[in-house]
Amino acid sequence: MFGFIIIMPALQILLFGWAIGGTPTDLDVSVVDDAQNMGSATLIGHLEGSDALLIEIEPDLDSARESVANGESWAVIHIHAEGNISVILDNSNQQVSNTVLLELRHALEYMGPESLPLTIEDPIYGSKDPAFIDFLAPGIMTLVCFMFSLILTTMAFVGERHDGTLDRIFAAGTQPGEVLLGHLAAFTVILVGQVSVVIAISVWGFDIPVEGSILLLFAVCLLLGWAAMCLGLVVSGKAKSEFQAMQINMPLIFPALLLSGILWPVQALPDWLQPVAWALPTTWTAEACRSIMIRGWGLESEPVWMAFLANAIFAGAMLLIAARTLKVRV
Amino acid sequence: MSAIRVRGLHRGYGPITVLSDLSMTVEAGSIYGLLGPSGCGKTTLLKVILGFLEPKAGSVEVSGAIPGSDVGYAPQEIALYPDLSIAETLRFHGRLHSMEPERILKRQDWLIDFLDLPAPTRTVGKLSGGEKRRVSLAVALLHEPSILLLDEPTVGVDPELRARIWKHMKEIAEGGTSIVITTHYIDEARQADCVGLMRHGRLLAEDSPEMVMNRQSAESLEEAFLVLCKREVRA
Repeated sequence: MFGFIIIMPALQILLFGWAIGGTPTDLDVSVVDDAQNMGSATLIGHLEGSDALLIEIEPDLDSARESVANGESWAVIHIHAEGNISVILDNSNQQVSNTVLLELRHALEYMGPESLPLTIEDPIYGSKDPAFIDFLAPGIMTLVCFMFSLILTTMAFVGERHDGTLDRIFAAGTQPGEVLLGHLAAFTVILVGQVSVVIAISVWGFDIPVEGSILLLFAVCLLLGWAAMCLGLVVSGKAKSEFQAMQINMPLIFPALLLSGILWPVQALPDWLQPVAWALPTTWTAEACRSIMIRGWGLESEPVWMAFLANAIFAGAMLLIAARTLKVRV
Repeated sequence: MSAIRVRGLHRGYGPITVLSDLSMTVEAGSIYGLLGPSGCGKTTLLKVILGFLEPKAGSVEVSGAIPGSDVGYAPQEIALYPDLSIAETLRFHGRLHSMEPERILKRQDWLIDFLDLPAPTRTVGKLSGGEKRRVSLAVALLHEPSILLLDEPTVGVDPELRARIWKHMKEIAEGGTSIVITTHYIDEARQADCVGLMRHGRLLAEDSPEMVMNRQSAESLEEAFLVLCKREVRA
């Protein structure tokens, strides 16, 4: 039980952190230097200094193209005799292409404004070179808090509904609301543990910066956990067995993963899917977590207080539905 | 005076009818043996009496607050938390009935002795089937309710203990407790003050065991039930 409650969420967060959002390293890139001057040598020097790239100098453009064509390298960086630069990509993996282009931009920036008439100033929010994990972490934390609260509540409550223990408790004159609040209170202890583990691993384990208040982050995750628990109470009211409960949980967790702006911005969803996304408490929570962690915003900012409001409304509505399904079966 | 009065009760689940035009009377301070094969509607009837299910038609009158601390209910399923110890189980249910801790402990000692339960520190999930059933019974008896609804409490309990349970039922019935006990050990119901023979959601007969047997000129309740069933089939 302890394993499921604490180790599983920890493992999920660890796996996400290791697998997704890191910067690729040792990408083979071919460079053709037709300029052969100080500038091109410095640029190649900067490129070679990057951890992400493994530079291979090719004598001419044809052999460089050849190496991309047969998969030996990801890109050709061609420094023309006139000094301008062209890039030919193997664009089969967007993340790899982005990394190559980003590294090239960095190398050019080091060379000074005359080689690149474009300066990316320090951003207002976020770091200048954010790792993808910084964007992803708030969303993944949201997802893990949501998923485990939901699963835990449904599992525990479905059994109780169908093995007669709940009947015994109702025979004692207990009200449905009391039973539900009792469950929430008991699971809150577990939830506090889970949220602490998830935040601790993300923040200290993966060194993801938190610009705002960790306490506020904790509070919004806790509230999402409650909302998920209330949803879990509804699910266990509908399900006849633990197996059926899992069947209902799966189609709830998947939209939470895909529609909540966790992996991809909500703004990119088709118009008709937008309302669905904003009906999910995870969308509001992920947005708030990002605002707290990256922008360092507080409770006075709209995305943050909206998340508290959305989760509270969602939890309240679910609790009412759950209480109704527990009442006398007419 | 009757403790439970059911008149013209109809109840089913969706299109399925479980109880049709059922009437029963449980006298205060008596043991009512509700007999019948599984699926005949005994459990549904208990759930209507407990107020978990609303009757479609008919009336149910119960003397006392049901659900509440006036009733002790042992469901057919074991219905116990497997992770709790026996003592924790009793404390949990005792607190549900707002019992004082000292009273819970006193009742616990008595119940463990009477029902021959293992040590109170034992975890419920690790007990044998018969032991779990006795713990379930202990929970129903714990707060000394005035109405006891016991759904198959003697399944898997050894005959000596079964006799002891019936003896105790009689004692507390004399003290004023009204008891409904469902069973399919038909002959053990001879010890009840009144038996209801239930089949297909209705009572075929309701009377003292002696009267039921005499009317059908049967030697045993089993035989009386058989005669009544055959008559129902012919009708």
